[in-house]
Amino acid sequence: MKRLALIGLDCADPILLRELLPELPTLRGLAERGSFARLRSVDPPITIPAWMCMMTGKDPGQLGVYGFRNRKDYSYKGLRIVNSTAFAGAEPLWETLGRHGIRSIVLGVPGTFPPRPISGVLVSGFLAPSTRSTYTYPASIADRIEKWVGEYVFDVRNFRTDDKAWLFAQAREMTEKRFAVARQLIEQEEWRFFVMVEIGPDRIHHGMWAHHDPMHLKHDASSPFRHTLAEYYRVLDHQLGLLIEALPPSTGILIVSDHGAQRMDGGFGINEWFIRSGDLVLKEYPQAPTRMQELIERNLIDWSQTTAWGEGGYYGRVFLNIAGREPEGIVPPNEVEAVLGRISSELAAAPDEAGEPIGTRVLRPSKIYRAVSEIPPDLLVYFGDLRWRSIGTIGWNRIHIHENDTGPDDANHAPYGVYMSSASGTTEDRELLGIRREVLEHFGVEEV
Amino acid sequence: MDKKRRIQISASLAETIKSLLPELGAASVEEYVEAVVRSHLQQSGHLSAYTPEEEEAVERHLQDLGYLD
Repeated sequence: MKRLALIGLDCADPILLRELLPELPTLRGLAERGSFARLRSVDPPITIPAWMCMMTGKDPGQLGVYGFRNRKDYSYKGLRIVNSTAFAGAEPLWETLGRHGIRSIVLGVPGTFPPRPISGVLVSGFLAPSTRSTYTYPASIADRIEKWVGEYVFDVRNFRTDDKAWLFAQAREMTEKRFAVARQLIEQEEWRFFVMVEIGPDRIHHGMWAHHDPMHLKHDASSPFRHTLAEYYRVLDHQLGLLIEALPPSTGILIVSDHGAQRMDGGFGINEWFIRSGDLVLKEYPQAPTRMQELIERNLIDWSQTTAWGEGGYYGRVFLNIAGREPEGIVPPNEVEAVLGRISSELAAAPDEAGEPIGTRVLRPSKIYRAVSEIPPDLLVYFGDLRWRSIGTIGWNRIHIHENDTGPDDANHAPYGVYMSSASGTTEDRELLGIRREVLEHFGVEEV
Repeated sequence: MDKKRRIQISASLAETIKSLLPELGAASVEEYVEAVVRSHLQQSGHLSAYTPEEEEAVERHLQDLGYLD
């Protein structure tokens, strides 16, 4: 009976992993016997939408999901947090396989809360609000999980902390519990396709990168936490070893990540930039850093003079204030292309505080996706090719910001994740959007 | 956990579901029917995935994580 285990390590980076492989016997063994390559993520290379792009084979434009929070309409306030209903029009791997009589175990995949019934077992990812919600299918699996590991941990809470020992302990507990659940499910359930995502590497990268990477601006070679990131990977590698031992013989193994990681050099105040370029006009400049949404709620944006505004996060999103589209839009539809071109050029050329170029990339949804659905940003902006975070809050009195508006964070995402396979052979770059096809081919299922 | 209340479905449908339980992955007819109905209502927008308090907590968590500002 053909089986496949697809194990996702959120944010696992190929350069980092290669560096750490000598300390990681499970992953090193897999790389030596099988394949180790880079996996090109989607744009944006962010957990949501990337994992569901992998599972459905559709790009963010086709899914209409461009990040964790998307516009639900063209009002200024209409935003919604993603949940599994956003992917209702796309069939993830386990649903396709279920139609062919192949049962799945799905554990921790971001974008699966609330759970939809499947042929098999599903435990939602970290967007589940708590274990008090119905976070599994079938619902009764939750009781079994509690018996196995006690309180199930979806994610590290309050990870923006300077208490790195606490952060490591939280991540370790979460990872060990998730893998314990994985082993129990593998041993107790009937399945042929197993897929899980461990979110821990992402949390450790964001929390620990500066301690690990000598190139990071905040690196301290004497930090007591300089080896903590590697220590987490040893924990993870041990858990992977236990999981692989628990798999029935000849199960195919794929280990993948949704994106990579890299040091973060700073934050770029996207709305501070727009204020200086004259594209965003406020009725009153805030005295302290304030979220754009709060300024909108307090009616402090002068929409009658505003051309564009941005949202922050690991990448920037730009929205034009278009006449006939936004409630108080001013950009005439026949000038949209020219305005987008001007803003793209200006942002791409934006330097750091020393006047040096940072290599910002600006992407147009209509040019990078096979289709564009729902409401995409008008532009996606990778400040410093994602070495700089996009900061949307206003009130800093400057554009380049080395404090973070949400607390300590050392890393940003990188476009290449990891691809490892028990099947021998390849070192050539793979595509995240090709994983679905590879899984279906493993089971001899044709994509319709 | 919500309180439960008794409803009725046709006996033949219940028997069919019961006979398929191993394939459907649910432990009981009730568990399967509740999951399907809940999911249908959520996917069609008639039942929210989150309560307002849960959605606020999830948004705060995403801000803490750096995905949102």
